[in-house]
Amino acid sequence: MENSNWDTMNDEQFDALLAGSLPELPPDPIAEAVTPWKQATNRILIGLALTSITLNFLLLQYLLPAIGSVLLLLGFRTLRAENRWFGCCFAATALRTLCFLTFLLLNSTILASLDGIAALTRFLTSLFLLLLFFVCFCLWRGLLALQRKAGLPARAPGAAWLLVWYGLVCVLALLQYQGIVFGLLMAAGYISILLSLRRLAGDLAESGYAIRTTPIRMTDRRLILSLCAALLVGMACGYAFGGTYSMDWTPAEESGNEEVSEVRSHLLELGFPEEVLKDLTEDDILACAGATQVVSDVSELPVNDGRTVTTRTETESGSLVSTDTVYDTKELRVTGVAVKIPGERERWMIFHHFCWTQDPGYWGTESIQLWPTWQNLEEGWSPADELTGRVLCDRDGQTFSTPYTFLGTQNWQQSSPFWGQEARSDPFAAFSFPRKADNRRCYLAYGVWSNAPGWILDSWANYTHQRTWLQYPVRTAMEHRMTNSLAPAGAFVTVQDALQFYPGDTSSLNPHHVSVAGTEEQVSVLPPE
Amino acid sequence: MKEQEIVDLLLARDEAGMDALLRHYGPLLRYVIAPILPNTQDQEDCLSEISMRVWERIALYDPARGNWTAWLTALGRNAALNFRRGQNPAFQAEEIPENAPSPGPTPEEEVLVRERRAAVARAVKRLSPKEQTLFYRKYYYQQPVAQIASELSLTERAVEGKLYRIRIKLRKTLGGEGYGKQ
Repeated sequence: MENSNWDTMNDEQFDALLAGSLPELPPDPIAEAVTPWKQATNRILIGLALTSITLNFLLLQYLLPAIGSVLLLLGFRTLRAENRWFGCCFAATALRTLCFLTFLLLNSTILASLDGIAALTRFLTSLFLLLLFFVCFCLWRGLLALQRKAGLPARAPGAAWLLVWYGLVCVLALLQYQGIVFGLLMAAGYISILLSLRRLAGDLAESGYAIRTTPIRMTDRRLILSLCAALLVGMACGYAFGGTYSMDWTPAEESGNEEVSEVRSHLLELGFPEEVLKDLTEDDILACAGATQVVSDVSELPVNDGRTVTTRTETESGSLVSTDTVYDTKELRVTGVAVKIPGERERWMIFHHFCWTQDPGYWGTESIQLWPTWQNLEEGWSPADELTGRVLCDRDGQTFSTPYTFLGTQNWQQSSPFWGQEARSDPFAAFSFPRKADNRRCYLAYGVWSNAPGWILDSWANYTHQRTWLQYPVRTAMEHRMTNSLAPAGAFVTVQDALQFYPGDTSSLNPHHVSVAGTEEQVSVLPPE
Repeated sequence: MKEQEIVDLLLARDEAGMDALLRHYGPLLRYVIAPILPNTQDQEDCLSEISMRVWERIALYDPARGNWTAWLTALGRNAALNFRRGQNPAFQAEEIPENAPSPGPTPEEEVLVRERRAAVARAVKRLSPKEQTLFYRKYYYQQPVAQIASELSLTERAVEGKLYRIRIKLRKTLGGEGYGKQ
């Protein structure tokens, strides 16, 4: 045979020659692959397996269900024209995929924690679960219909058991079952259900040739790429625009109230730090009217990882190597101030003021958790006033202020390796600073009654700062603080400061600077080395 | 009923084998002959003819040459092609021999057909698995582009494009470097 024969013939001649020169039998893999059924059922089975697996590491809890949802979508897309049950499976799977993509997108923002969005998330979760049952039911009915059409006995126990299995999973979830025995039994049950479905798909392989397919407008590859592109663009927007709280910044006005000015002057005389005093609201200043004593404590705290320094010391018994973390920069200045207001019952106003002296590099969400002095010393102190405070920053020489996004008490369950599950209830403040501003600062204030003399005033503040945007799912600093320890973890770092002193014994104080009203006495106590 | 049980029943000349064959493999055979014979009545007539041929020729089935599905689809395809030729007055005089795998070659062209067949087989083997599937669907099973597209979740345009590229590849392989030169 000459090459020129193939070269010179037109397409029709070439096609005819190809058709007449085919092998006697098609290769086995080709003969088996030429069916619309096999690929579709494989996709559905793998999709079912992946959407039911939860592996909580390396983001597999998101990746596997996402891949599984897309496989289910593609599988049912092929079968959707065969009967109305498979058509329903396709519609429900498309809706489930949309729900799941919405979850994935919401997880790239902090919106999920907001009230309105949280309600939407709950609705989507319920819908997602209902659709799962609907898909399983329709799959079961669709398989039965296909068997009847092929003249086979209508039996698909695997698909029916799938419904029962998901029902049991829901019951166990409602009971918050955490044991291993049932978990293993359920896993074994699920594997046997999938194997049963696989056998059924094999038995239906010949009948599968009878299924009807419909033309598509978008290829599988294009559909997958479109979903991925939509997800990536959505997530990029989520990280860019949905990673911070929306704060209501307004120019901070100087108070013209005479009473406020008088109290302010008096507090300054008592030694109230001026940089803290100028940030207080009129109400917080007036709450200090009649003050007789001000105690303040300033700390410079690092919000970076520092650098590791290894020192080797020669001793008689050999070399001693020690490794320390040294912080060259300390970005956050924390000032604790306590103001004594005498009366029939002694009252103290406590202020925790935070001021960023250097830019830490990234501004996302921030939170402050308080452990007020009345929390663990109930015999000595009791709460007197609501928690107050605000957030401030400077831009172009103008000071702006805003209320906190959240200011109140959070109740949650804390897991501890030492104490197990513990119900916690702490005051919290949550907020964001603008990405372009100077002199970012904030403060929290609360009042306490003295129940009995002699009790230490012991007020703690845990400031959590978000160091990077890189986290998934995106959590706020407050959410992180409610789930993690104080150790730096992931995108967040928490620094801790405490205002601790015995009101009646200034010599025992930790504070750096103490001034007592009515006297000229200035006591300076150096921080311990 | 398993494939081997059906084959055994047919080999034992048990008519239950025929019932099982039509029940289990009827959809497959209809699937294979439908693109060649669009008319439903023709499909039913052809299916009867195929079942008769299977009954007669079951002893020729050799698992070493190809699996049951491949043998059955080849038999069904060839029977459908013969049926179509029989309907066409231009071809009524000549019928493809029953043991012939595909229509076309006359006895005079036997040697040439064998050479071509070997060359095509070599060229097709050089295609990727996906391209081979597409090739067999188009040229062996004679499926229309619309059917190939919907079953492979591709658009018709995509299938046409892929088939065009496959054709170019095959021409290059079969025609050597000379293809496309002026």
